[in-house]
Amino acid sequence: MTALQLRLDHLVSLLVFLALAGVWQILSVIYTAEAQPGEPMVAGWQVLFTKTFLSLADYWQGGFGVPAVAEGAERSYLAALLSVLAHSINTIGRLVLGLALGGGVGLLLGLAMSWSPWSRRLVDLPIQFLRGLPLLAMVPLFQLWFGIRYTGEVLFVAYGIGVIFFAGTVNAVRNVPQIYIDNARSFGASRAMLYRTVILPAIFPAMRSTILLSLGAGWGAVLGAEYLGAQSGLGYVIVYAQEFAFLDRMFLIALLFIFYTSVSYWAISRLSVRLLAWAPPSQRQ
Amino acid sequence: MPAARNLRMIELIHLGRAFTRGDGQSVQAVDDVSLIIPEGQFVCLIGASGCGKSTLLQMIAGLLEPSAGSTVVAGEEVAGPGRERGMIFQKDSVFPWMKVIDNVEYGLKCRNVPPQQRRELARAYVRRVGLAHVENAWPRELSGGMLKRVAIAAVFANGSPVLLLDEPFAALDYVTRHHLHDVLLDLWEEPGKTVPRTVLFVTHDVDEALTLADRIVVLHDGRVVDDLAVAALRPRTTDSLLLPEMVAIKHTLLAHLGLEQAAKKPAAAGAAA
Repeated sequence: MTALQLRLDHLVSLLVFLALAGVWQILSVIYTAEAQPGEPMVAGWQVLFTKTFLSLADYWQGGFGVPAVAEGAERSYLAALLSVLAHSINTIGRLVLGLALGGGVGLLLGLAMSWSPWSRRLVDLPIQFLRGLPLLAMVPLFQLWFGIRYTGEVLFVAYGIGVIFFAGTVNAVRNVPQIYIDNARSFGASRAMLYRTVILPAIFPAMRSTILLSLGAGWGAVLGAEYLGAQSGLGYVIVYAQEFAFLDRMFLIALLFIFYTSVSYWAISRLSVRLLAWAPPSQRQ
Repeated sequence: MPAARNLRMIELIHLGRAFTRGDGQSVQAVDDVSLIIPEGQFVCLIGASGCGKSTLLQMIAGLLEPSAGSTVVAGEEVAGPGRERGMIFQKDSVFPWMKVIDNVEYGLKCRNVPPQQRRELARAYVRRVGLAHVENAWPRELSGGMLKRVAIAAVFANGSPVLLLDEPFAALDYVTRHHLHDVLLDLWEEPGKTVPRTVLFVTHDVDEALTLADRIVVLHDGRVVDDLAVAALRPRTTDSLLLPEMVAIKHTLLAHLGLEQAAKKPAAAGAAA
């Protein structure tokens, strides 16, 4: 693809994006219904970036010399910004911890399936059983087990991600060409060496889609966990806004979510392109 | 050749391997093969496609379990792959995620050779196979012939006394194949080494076998049907292949491969060991 084509692509994408924003703006003018007095069902951009954003200050719990609205302080843009940052950090923290835990455990259990007949026997049936349990069916259980504790929310995200990682790893290991395994073994590689130097790099191209898939599931799971009684995080803000039918706030948080998920996908793609410098271009994209 | 060499470097004792086909029928890929190969000998294993030569090599490499008999290499029974038996495969086996130099170092790394030492050794072999200019390249950037050079350098750098080559050059063009014969023989006749490594080279190419081997073992339907000594001096050129005894061996081999009606028994025929 030439540089000109690439720039044209970007230009078209930007225009589509602006057109969508325009459609939303037109809708906000045409459809003037309100969820409750002063709360439009479709809030225009001029509302979203002023009044709505400012109202997010309500979720600031105080600190850094900026008092909380609940304590009688006036709404301020600084409080709103701090509020967005604090809740975002909470959400992203849950996601990152869940990803690390779920990804790590899922990967290890996936590798255990091929490590030896014994490790396979130990792991296979219990994991197949867990895989069959839908994530959403686990919600009440997690709620009862862990209440509204941070650990419970992280474990919930880790569970959602771990299941995907496990399945992805098992499948990817199965597709490692036998020739590389034979080659390493004939060089005298130990089993640990074989996994570290052959299996792990060989499964990486296939694992990339697993990582992206689990990231999507992770964002979903972290929101789910926060809907269920967390006292912080973007999911908590959405639930709280829903109780008072603040549709504009919910919409603004949803937009923020789109921004975060896009950045996370972009970051993973960039990272994998770097890590896959060895692979043919078709496997890197 | 000094007398101190092991006269039974590779010993195949009634080796057999059966497979069960998809239709439930049992196929005897290797059938009761017994063979003794002395240290330092370059042996070509020749036979038509499907005669069991790759299966035999895989069993010696320890990558495939025999269903009968056993293999003894340097006095030890083969129970799995080991670094004393280096293998070069027909398909590209070079790890695409490691740079050329790291591929050549791989076996040394498996043996915990200190980084500095293994890098030097690997560099020396990369140079000897003529790839010094691409030592930091990714395998995807190399041609098929260059990839084979990487595989050869890696196996020689690992210092295995026995080398098993499974039709390594079958997929290469004529010119590249000839260059690689030279590279292989050059490394095999390593100066300063009293006894060269023992090589078992699987091929279906008669001229390749005549160019490389001290001894040619012919396999048919999983059994050894002939065992011929090749006495011509090295380096062997196009002219060497025209020597009467070479032509006679070629006729015999072609007959075994079903390309000539009657096998003319060459004067030099017989067990080479």
